[in-house]
Amino acid sequence: MLPSLLALEASERDIKILALTDHNSGRNLPAFAEACEMVGIVGVFGCEVNTIEEVHMLALFEDVHVASDFCFYIESLLPRIRNVINIFGQQTVVDIRGKILEEVTTSLYGAANISVDQLVNQVNNLGGMVIPAHIDRLANSLTANLGFVPDLPYAAVEAIRVPCHVEVHGKTVIQGSDAHYLEHIGRRCCYIDADEANYPALVNALANSAIFYRGS
Amino acid sequence: MTYEKLVTALQYRLVADGDRQAVIEDAYAGDLLSDVMGNANQDSVLITIQAHKNTVAVASLVQIHLIVLCNDRKAPEDMRTAATEQNIAICETTDNQFVAAYKIARLLGKV
Repeated sequence: MLPSLLALEASERDIKILALTDHNSGRNLPAFAEACEMVGIVGVFGCEVNTIEEVHMLALFEDVHVASDFCFYIESLLPRIRNVINIFGQQTVVDIRGKILEEVTTSLYGAANISVDQLVNQVNNLGGMVIPAHIDRLANSLTANLGFVPDLPYAAVEAIRVPCHVEVHGKTVIQGSDAHYLEHIGRRCCYIDADEANYPALVNALANSAIFYRGS
Repeated sequence: MTYEKLVTALQYRLVADGDRQAVIEDAYAGDLLSDVMGNANQDSVLITIQAHKNTVAVASLVQIHLIVLCNDRKAPEDMRTAATEQNIAICETTDNQFVAAYKIARLLGKV
């Protein structure tokens, strides 16, 4: 799934704001940022951090450079294990045209040596936001791995299905596509009311639970 | 058996003190804390590699008196503080969960 096609597909589906969050890596963010600008959508940049508790948490930033630096930091916290291509697939970094720039040989699959609490602190200190991923999933979620959602300053929490019956301490619950394939982009979209689609409007809507869904 | 007797017998590193009166009856080994929450018996030792403060939160819910951190994982400061607040002891060991579970099962008369 090329970052440029991701942006293009989103724009064709009339999506205004789209985040790219690869697993423990942000190496494809520059191509994604370039593509978002080209097709005129707002990119949000980050990665899906697999924490030491093996909980998936989205770390998101407005600025692609801040995001890239943070994602490299997350990569540095991963165990040094070689990727096994026939099991986990290739880990390629591409440019906007899809040309392969590099192949990451260290496995990006593992858990980064950072706890949920530390992650939330560090991302918030950098002006980013953290959204615990798929809290209603039975694997790699706060609910599954910790047994509960700790009350921390998340920007929102993401669930596969809403309403979700997990105690979230008043946080906004959003749905995300968790798209791993092009055809999944835009499934389970959520909507915000804003004069203009931009990052502050998104942050604001999440903070005020001003999220709605198609048909609601 | 109290946690102090258990930790002394095991020769593990005690890094946070807990309830000295509590009698440990059982143990549970697990790293998936939702499973620990659902299945550990009260008055247990928890054998795990989950060295973070949320483990203390789960332990307090199911009345676990001692957390044994395996594979040389170290309890961070915030975890030790949380454990002290909750009156839960923590010790660290280079043993893995299998070995720790075997030793503890013997001491508790389970095998």
